[in-house]
Parts: sequence; C-alpha cells; structure tokens
Amino acid sequence: MGDDEGRLAQLGRLLREFYEAPYRGAVARARREEDDLFMLFVFAELMGVPNPAAYYTLELQPLLLERFHEWHQRQGLEHSPLDDFRCC
Amino acid sequence: MNELLTRPLLFVGGKGGVGKTTTAAALALRIADQGRRALLVSTDPAHSLADLFGRTIGDTQTELAPSLWALEIDPDRQADAHLAAVKDRMKGLVHPRAYDEIDRQLDLAKLAPGTMEAAMLERMAEVMALAGRDYDHVVFDTAPTGHTVRLLSLPEVMAAWTDGLLGHRKRSAQLDSALRHLGGGRKRGDDLSRLENAADHDEGSRDARLNEILQERRRKLVRAREQLLDRAVCAFLLVLNPDRLSLLETVKAHKVLERVSISVAGLVVNRVLPDEADGEFLLARREQEGSYLEEIDRTFASLPRVRVPLLPCDVHEFETLRRLGKAVAV
Repeated sequence: MGDDEGRLAQLGRLLREFYEAPYRGAVARARREEDDLFMLFVFAELMGVPNPAAYYTLELQPLLLERFHEWHQRQGLEHSPLDDFRCC
Repeated sequence: MNELLTRPLLFVGGKGGVGKTTTAAALALRIADQGRRALLVSTDPAHSLADLFGRTIGDTQTELAPSLWALEIDPDRQADAHLAAVKDRMKGLVHPRAYDEIDRQLDLAKLAPGTMEAAMLERMAEVMALAGRDYDHVVFDTAPTGHTVRLLSLPEVMAAWTDGLLGHRKRSAQLDSALRHLGGGRKRGDDLSRLENAADHDEGSRDARLNEILQERRRKLVRAREQLLDRAVCAFLLVLNPDRLSLLETVKAHKVLERVSISVAGLVVNRVLPDEADGEFLLARREQEGSYLEEIDRTFASLPRVRVPLLPCDVHEFETLRRLGKAVAV
C-alpha cells in the first residue's frame, strides 16, 4: 500500500517534470536574455556605445563581472572580447 | 527682486566675465548680513571665489564672515573617490593578476567625457540638499551658461537612464519568479567564493544589491531635479552687461533654460554707467548703453530686473560687496 503511494508520487513528479521542463528552459532563456541586455547596457561605454550615465553604471560593473564572464563564454569567446576589460 | 531672496536655492549664471561671481558673492553677503546662514558655492572649474575674497577656500565649507560660508567644488576629488571605491570592489572580485588591468581601465574612465560632469553633479546634489537644512540659503556661482544648462539637464537624462535599467531589472525579476514556480530560479548559495563581501555571495543578493544601487542613484537625481524645478525653492538669476554680446547670450540662455523647464526668476543688469559719470567719452558710451538697456527692458519685460551701477573701483572687499548687494536686493 505504502509502496504504491510512493510510486504514485514518483510518477506525479515525473509527469510534472515532463510538462514543466520545456517551459522552464524557455523562461530561463528569456530571463537570461533580459539579464544580458541589462549587462550590455552597463558595459555599453566599453563597447563604444555612448552611455550618458557611465559614471553611475561603473559602480554596477563589479557586481556583474561574473555574469559578463559567463556571457562571453556563452557567445563562444574564450576570453573577454574587450581590450579594456579582462575578466579572465 | 527681494522676494527671490526668500528661496533657499539661488543660482547665478550668465556669460563669462559679466560679474557672476561678484553678484553671487554680494547676494550671499547680503543674506548673511540679514542674519541668515548663507553658503556661497562655486561650480566653475576655474574658481575665482578665493581670488575675490583674497584667501584660500577649496572643497570644504569655509567661514568668511558671520553667517557666511563658501565652498569651491572640486569634481576631480569627487571622481577620484568614486573611482577608488569601484576599484576596491572590483579587486575583491577578480584574481590579483587582473589588478593592473582594473587600475588601467578605471584610470581611463576618469578621462572619459562626462565623468567630471557627473562627479560635479553628484557633489552639487549633495550641496543642494544642505539648502534649508544646514543653511538658510545656498547660492551657486555657476560656470558659463552652456556648461550649466547641460549640468542642470543631467538629472533628467540620468534619471531616464536609471529608469530604463530598473525596467530591465523588473522584467528579469518577474521571469525569475515564474522560473521559481517551475522549480528553477536564481541560485542561493556560494557561487562567488573569491568575493570578500559575504552579503554578495549568492546571485539573489547580488541582484538585490544591483537594484539598491540603481534605486539610490535615482532617488538622488530625482530629488535634485525636484529642487531645481520647484519655484518655491529655487531661483535662477541671469547676470548680463548692457552690451550686444552679453544681451544675445542672455536671450539664448533664457530660451535654453526654459526648454529644460528651469524658470529664470530675474535679471541683474550689471555695470550700468552711473548718472554721476561725466565727460564726452562717457556721454557717447551712455547713449549706446541706453539703447541696450531699452532692448533688455523690451525683451525681458516679463522678468523682474535690477540695474547695478559700475563702480569706480574693483570689487574685492566686503564694503564694496555690500554696496553691490544693496543694489541687487534692498
């Protein structure tokens, strides 16, 4: 009896995973794109895009260092593509 | 004109050389003589308050007379402190190998266009916050008009920029909350082991910190902007001389200021030939001056105006400043 319940719960989890996994991927991608865009705004000045608030976004850069590193690796660039900004 | 002196925040602007600094100093002294605490602030990169008062002032509030303090803003110092703080934080995040890189990049950032303006604005916003709190009045002796207008329109531009960034943060947070319902979401845990600041150790709190920094910036900028636009708080005075170039520049400055919604509260027509000046040469000058004075009256009919006579001597003592101050505001 208890064994059946355990198996049922397991089945429920599997089914849930089966239905949710694709959405999770899509939402995670959407969030990552949003984060990338934000990060690119913060690093805009380094890429030659004038940023009227460069002085203020500078203080955000340390917090985004890690994410910047992940981003350029995701883009298939082994090292930071910016001459003035090397994270690795 | 006297009514203007009740506002806690006074800006004195105009073309270079028309007598902005002396007018601002005279106003501040006038206020101080009436027993109210006044802070006179120079934002011109080429400071001349020290020369006017014949003593060093610099970037600290210096008492010049009873109830009168002065300050010469040094954007260099502000920018240095800001960049040093960012450097420190960055060095906590990267391998010591990258320290040189960070130093180089941030030293370059100091030279980037806009850095000094942003630093100046930040300091001005701090000083503006003193008006009505530590001081009854803060009187700004501003740099020539173009520079000032840009500076005063910065809070709007920057607030729009931080708003944009905050919009992205919000959408990201919404997506993250959706993700959490699906069993995903930001990691909570130690994903930045090299980081010294324990509060930033997981992605979630780093996100919170990003938002905090942006919100704090925005608050400061919006507050500065509100003060500038509040006609009960802030008055902008333009100084000009009765001559052609000065008049043309003032017309332009007036237009530009109106465009950024900063209202000009009054005009100070400085160095008007006094009636007692005589001689044929001065007669001719006075005739020409008369046509400009007329034109000023016509062009700026809707603004309060005051005429300040040309003095027979230089202005660099409290006595002459007092004479000027009484001519501007009784």
